Amino acid sequence: MKHVAIPKLIGFGLVILLTTNLTHAKGDDFGSVVKMVEQFYNVKHQGIPFLARAGMKVVGTAAKIKGGTAKRLAEAGSIKLAVFEDQEFEGDFTRFRSSLNEALKQTWIPLVQTLSATDEEQAYIFVREKGDKFNVLVVTIGQREGTVVQATLCSKNLALLMRDPEGAGKNITDEATIIDNE
Amino acid sequence: MRSVFQRISIIPALAVLLVIVAGTTSNAQDPRIQMSHLDHLAAKASETVDVNIDERLVQIAMKVFNDKDPDEAHIKKLVAGLKGIYVKSFEFDTDNQFNAADVDSIRNQLREPTWSRMVNVKSKRDSNVEVYISLSGSNINGLTVISFDPRELTVVNVVGPVDLEKLAQLEGSLGIPDLGVEITKPKTKNEEK
Repeated sequence: MKHVAIPKLIGFGLVILLTTNLTHAKGDDFGSVVKMVEQFYNVKHQGIPFLARAGMKVVGTAAKIKGGTAKRLAEAGSIKLAVFEDQEFEGDFTRFRSSLNEALKQTWIPLVQTLSATDEEQAYIFVREKGDKFNVLVVTIGQREGTVVQATLCSKNLALLMRDPEGAGKNITDEATIIDNE
Repeated sequence: MRSVFQRISIIPALAVLLVIVAGTTSNAQDPRIQMSHLDHLAAKASETVDVNIDERLVQIAMKVFNDKDPDEAHIKKLVAGLKGIYVKSFEFDTDNQFNAADVDSIRNQLREPTWSRMVNVKSKRDSNVEVYISLSGSNINGLTVISFDPRELTVVNVVGPVDLEKLAQLEGSLGIPDLGVEITKPKTKNEEK
């Protein structure tokens, strides 16, 4: 009995540890926002196995970024990411926007929010100061997929984000959804 | 005794009146306008953009924009002293998804004596454009642009020392859309003839 239980426990512990590190949907306002998306739209963010299966798509994005003009904006190791894939995001997006803004208004500053009723797409960028650096929270929700990304930016990259919020916000989301095989 | 009681009852009433008057005065001088009542248009719009650069973000911008980068130094100069830049923009796939009451809800906040409408402006596109400035003494402390056509409504509200030229230079940065507003030169007497 003991021989079976210990490896199982170690395995279980490892899974929890890896899940925490890779999906990062824990603690801070980041976790609250992920929960809010889950509760509002009745969806679930994916963990490691799903992200690993999605490797093909992710590698494609990585290749595109490597070959393109996009640059890395987030500080190394600072990215928190939750991905929602192939799920129905049905609900009143104006109500979702109000709830999100209400939940974050104490600690985050909304920079830009874009909604597209036609494409059923929403994007929200929030900023806050963190010592001499800055946190940025990017929430994007489409018809069948969504992402919540929190990253730390240095002053230089926050300046890029402020100059072109939509472009840089998309860049941060693309960067976060790469599984770096380098 | 009676007169003392009468005086006592008047004091709170006067205090309340003073608070109301003070509140009204401070509101009248605040060039920040409310745009949240346009939010219902988001459900009908094909695209909605909401930019919210409040005083905290302006301060952050002042910190992070690099003086050695010519573009950033230029933006920094333009936003210096501003207390906020707020934009709401709606694009529609079909005509007349918003009505006069929506535009009036903004116009009604831009009343004299605080706000004055600039007459010498026109749109580079075929949109209707209205530009209002708020004055504190002889200084501009706010600017509001309403730009609309049957399929688009954009409202920009800048709080702080700004003019139309400054705003035009900020277009395309900080999420501020291209408003296509230009200042027309006043006609000379000969041109009027």
